[in-house]
Amino acid sequence: MQNLIDILSQSNKDIDNQKLMDYVSGKLSAEDKHEVEKWMIDNEFAGEAWEGLHQFSKKKELGIYVDELNKELARYILEKKKRRDIRKIQQPSWIYFAIGLILLMIIVAYLVISKLNK
Amino acid sequence: MKKTRFDHINDQELLEKFYADRDNFWIGILLQRYTLLLLGVCMKYLRNEEEAKDAVQHIFLKTITELHKYRVDYFKSWLYMVAKNHCLMKLRDSQGKIYSEIHDKNLLIAEEEGSIQHHFEKEKNLQLMSTSLEELNQEQKLCVTLFYLEKKTYHQIAVETGYTMMQVKSNIQNGKRNLKNLMEKKVSGK
Repeated sequence: MQNLIDILSQSNKDIDNQKLMDYVSGKLSAEDKHEVEKWMIDNEFAGEAWEGLHQFSKKKELGIYVDELNKELARYILEKKKRRDIRKIQQPSWIYFAIGLILLMIIVAYLVISKLNK
Repeated sequence: MKKTRFDHINDQELLEKFYADRDNFWIGILLQRYTLLLLGVCMKYLRNEEEAKDAVQHIFLKTITELHKYRVDYFKSWLYMVAKNHCLMKLRDSQGKIYSEIHDKNLLIAEEEGSIQHHFEKEKNLQLMSTSLEELNQEQKLCVTLFYLEKKTYHQIAVETGYTMMQVKSNIQNGKRNLKNLMEKKVSGK
């Protein structure tokens, strides 16, 4: 009878990536498979993803695709950070250059004015 | 897919870390949790493996850009919406068809669904459930019963009934939704 109530209950568990990957690769026991499937029924995101993952011709390669995408993402983020860091380093040198130039102009102006006064 | 040293930090905490120091590193950790789901959703809509992988990369970039622009509270739902809209836009561009975009509101429905069982006492619930289950069409009743009551997997149900895995999933999903609707009708009719 408890199972009847379970129909309307929502799966609160969040299935981790590894378990989902094992599910897709067919490595889970029937009990674990059922748990993942119950989660997918209640979770629209996962449910739609299941429909799509089902359509991949080589399901065993899914792990490789995911790793490639993750590496690409990490590389992009690292490059973006490097570019930002370089900009940060370059920015102060321009500021120092501008301050130096202004000071130099003030000194030159002072010298010129004091010479003219003499 | 390896375990990472950030597995103990939940999505919300990672988002907070990002908003605190604006370091994309945190978004990277977050996004990597959903790569497989994103790949699946993109494949479902685009039906092409290479296009699906491309779309996931675009969604990654879009996520990084958008999170810098405004605050997001529920990352998973928001990411799902971004992914779905991206795929629908891509389909619209390539096929010239008009698809309606989804909005946050639709995503919240699933989260609210769990509240129904709190309105009834357990016994009444069971009676209502039994009668409502009988009113489902044959396919949905069979799939819901085998899945929830006999705890069978999609594959086992597919073998037993002769339906495809997709039909099994759809029958369970629609059956569950119809069951809720039937129960709600019965309750509001009383």
